[in-house]
Amino acid sequence: MPRYVARRLGQALLVVAGVVGLTFVIMRMVPGDPAVAFAGPKATPRQLAEARERFGLDDPLPAQLWNYVRDLVTGDWGTSLRTRQPVLDDLYVAFPASLELVGAALLVAVVVGIPVGILAARYKRKFPDIGVRVTSMLAVSVPVFWLALALQTVFAGHLDLLPVAGEYDAALDTTSPLTLWTNITVVDALITGNWPIFTSTLEHLVLPTLVVAAYPTGVIAQMTRAALIEESGQDHARMERALGFGETAVLTRFALRPALNPLLSLIALVFAYAIVNGFLVEAVFNWPGLGRYAVESIRHLDTPAIAGVTLLVALVYVLANLLVDLAQGVVDPRARPR
Amino acid sequence: MRWHKRLLVAGVAGAVAMAASACAGGQVRGAGGTPQPSTSTGPSAAAQANDATFVYAPNLDVVTDWDPASSYSNEIIAMANIYEGLTRYNAEAGKPEPRLATEWSSADDGKEWTFKLRQGVKFHTGAPMDAEAAKKAIERTIKVNAGAAYIWGSVKTIEAVDPATLKFTLKYAAPLDLVASSGYAAHIYDTSVADELKDGAKDAGTGPYTIDTWQKGKETELTLKAFEGYWGGWKPEQYKKVSFRVTPEITTAWQLLQKGEVNFVPRLNPQLFEQAGMTEGVRTAQQPSFQNLLLLPNTASGPMKDVKVRQALQLAIDYDGLVAALKGAGTKASGLVPKGLLGHVAGMEPRQDLARAQELLNAAGYGPDLEELKLTLTYAQGDEDQKLLVTLLSSTLKKLNVTLQAKPMAWNAQWDLGKKQGQDIFVMYWYPDYPDAYSWFLNVFKSADKPQFNLSYLKNPAVDRAIDALPQLTATDALAADAAYAGLQKKILQEEAAVAVPYVQTYQRALSAGVEGYADNPAYPNVVFFYDLKPAG
Repeated sequence: MPRYVARRLGQALLVVAGVVGLTFVIMRMVPGDPAVAFAGPKATPRQLAEARERFGLDDPLPAQLWNYVRDLVTGDWGTSLRTRQPVLDDLYVAFPASLELVGAALLVAVVVGIPVGILAARYKRKFPDIGVRVTSMLAVSVPVFWLALALQTVFAGHLDLLPVAGEYDAALDTTSPLTLWTNITVVDALITGNWPIFTSTLEHLVLPTLVVAAYPTGVIAQMTRAALIEESGQDHARMERALGFGETAVLTRFALRPALNPLLSLIALVFAYAIVNGFLVEAVFNWPGLGRYAVESIRHLDTPAIAGVTLLVALVYVLANLLVDLAQGVVDPRARPR
Repeated sequence: MRWHKRLLVAGVAGAVAMAASACAGGQVRGAGGTPQPSTSTGPSAAAQANDATFVYAPNLDVVTDWDPASSYSNEIIAMANIYEGLTRYNAEAGKPEPRLATEWSSADDGKEWTFKLRQGVKFHTGAPMDAEAAKKAIERTIKVNAGAAYIWGSVKTIEAVDPATLKFTLKYAAPLDLVASSGYAAHIYDTSVADELKDGAKDAGTGPYTIDTWQKGKETELTLKAFEGYWGGWKPEQYKKVSFRVTPEITTAWQLLQKGEVNFVPRLNPQLFEQAGMTEGVRTAQQPSFQNLLLLPNTASGPMKDVKVRQALQLAIDYDGLVAALKGAGTKASGLVPKGLLGHVAGMEPRQDLARAQELLNAAGYGPDLEELKLTLTYAQGDEDQKLLVTLLSSTLKKLNVTLQAKPMAWNAQWDLGKKQGQDIFVMYWYPDYPDAYSWFLNVFKSADKPQFNLSYLKNPAVDRAIDALPQLTATDALAADAAYAGLQKKILQEEAAVAVPYVQTYQRALSAGVEGYADNPAYPNVVFFYDLKPAG
């Protein structure tokens, strides 16, 4: 097992290194002087030259890449040209908020998607199945940006049921300030028993979570349905039926477990995808996550920040896949490394 | 253990491990690291005191640079309420007014300036603001030499004659009272704490507000509170608390404004702005800015080297159609200098004249029955107003057998290409860093061997000489300066046709109806002076 994990980690590191190298080179090849992001749109030639000198932008590309990688390894992700802060500090503020939103969305996706998928498989080609398939198709194909605006206008604007935007009511910062441990607001509020912020955050989470969850829920429901239908056609299912198990029991007690294997891989992929897909949702709901940071960094050609965001997302992909590989061993003895 | 229980246990263990690993130490959000006791938000001592928070909804990060010397970005909105300069520009009167200086005078043909400073002013650090402190602040800004520090380029020496008198000796004549009113790089601050400002925990200004909390990257990024020792004093009805709620999406800002969760939105789109004008509880305000759009033809090489082609371009632009399509977000320009600045000329509005444009093109060897003219144009990516101009212009030019290849680009890329003379037409906004029309002429139209912002690449010694004479005239003889500006604009716009000015941007603000005292000052773009506001009634 340790050797298996080490091998997987090694492969993962290669992938991450490739992503970082590629991002960095592409960013440097884009026309335009990144020093403008630091020195300002009306910078004098001298200010631009100073900025280029300070960030080593005049060095040859291989030297820049080497310096960047060397710093990365020592835990220095560079300084953002735009915010003038260490990139890692910026990410430490932005990423937990994204994680909070995507985590909540994925929870919804799993809790809703899998049972709905089972339901569809149980009543294959009957009314519930058709309903599930149509709904999940819609959920997958509706653009998140549109869905976000629509839900916001209806539920926050017209019906006034939920907050328009934000992570929690800012007034609570003075009345019941939050002690930060993980930087994930909802978790910190729970750990420290800060109920006003906890409930306010949950309330603010509802709409963006639903929007971010739409796509994963649809995909998971479809995939569960497909995997279960395939499993229930296998020989073992025929035997289970012969032994007198009902159709529901065949699906949930026997077919679900082998079907979970591909589902877990899917969830990992969808998780990382949802972080990036959530950028637009974050913009609509003022969610203080990676989205705003990434968009502004791209607009300003802020190379260290863009590379930082890319690296972080790549790490999430790799980590999620690694966790799934390990979890698969728990779920499915066949997947356990020998 | 059954498989799903095992999975559950693994999941819970993972979550606990993650939480535990992150638990390196707790920190209180919004309290600068010190835990705050839970306090009730009861009414303050004065009965009618305004304890409401005024909420501004910017669409971008509020602060990227806390150093008043180098700050040159969106933070102007906050900085203008925390810091003050010697003077402040009054756009209605068209001249600077007292702020930290109560009076000033110039001598030696504008090469010597003496400012009398306001007495009894204290920095937020507690130190007194006197001539020595002001001298140190400006000298540090000049030394840091970042952002807009170049505005002090004329200064040779600064002398604190006595605690209330600050004297500048200049290398060349310049309107220092205007320079001192700049929104950037003209702040007077306590230099003794200048190196401790980076993390936004404190500030060193004299303004009515001081930093309460700064949470980089958060939705409510910045909150300000009243500085009790402000020299102007405080009335009960003024806003003592201000917060900035970052709202990237215009539609979200509009929803929040309608619900009263924010009080000020600096820009809506034309549809929402129209709707805002008819919505109860919301009011709108419009004000022409000091920012105009410039179309700079390449006067140095390519087909636009021919002045007739440049004049044809000026005449081909559908100015009225464009302004109508902008739905209030732009007004027709008259000359190069926007209204409200010394040097603005009335009656210079351009007009579309396609017949004359065609004649000029024909004379240059192009036109419908002659050779096709291909022009490349670069403009700002993501700017809807510029895109509108480009769309209208290309369809008009098509009729004249001119094909426009328009490229939207990020500023750094567009600028880099422009410095290499890589296009026929360069589109950009220009605004002055301090309220002086000189900015357009010095930066955009004075000859330069290596062009910076002279992206029409104009080289005209007579124009250069006239530009060089402007600062002294502005400092000594406003009437003569006005005439000089008028002459220069005629030369550059009409004779050289080195620029076309399609429109001046108009600010379209929306704010809560229950707020009084708001006045837009185009010299300080997007700034709300919160000290001037109070709830209606």
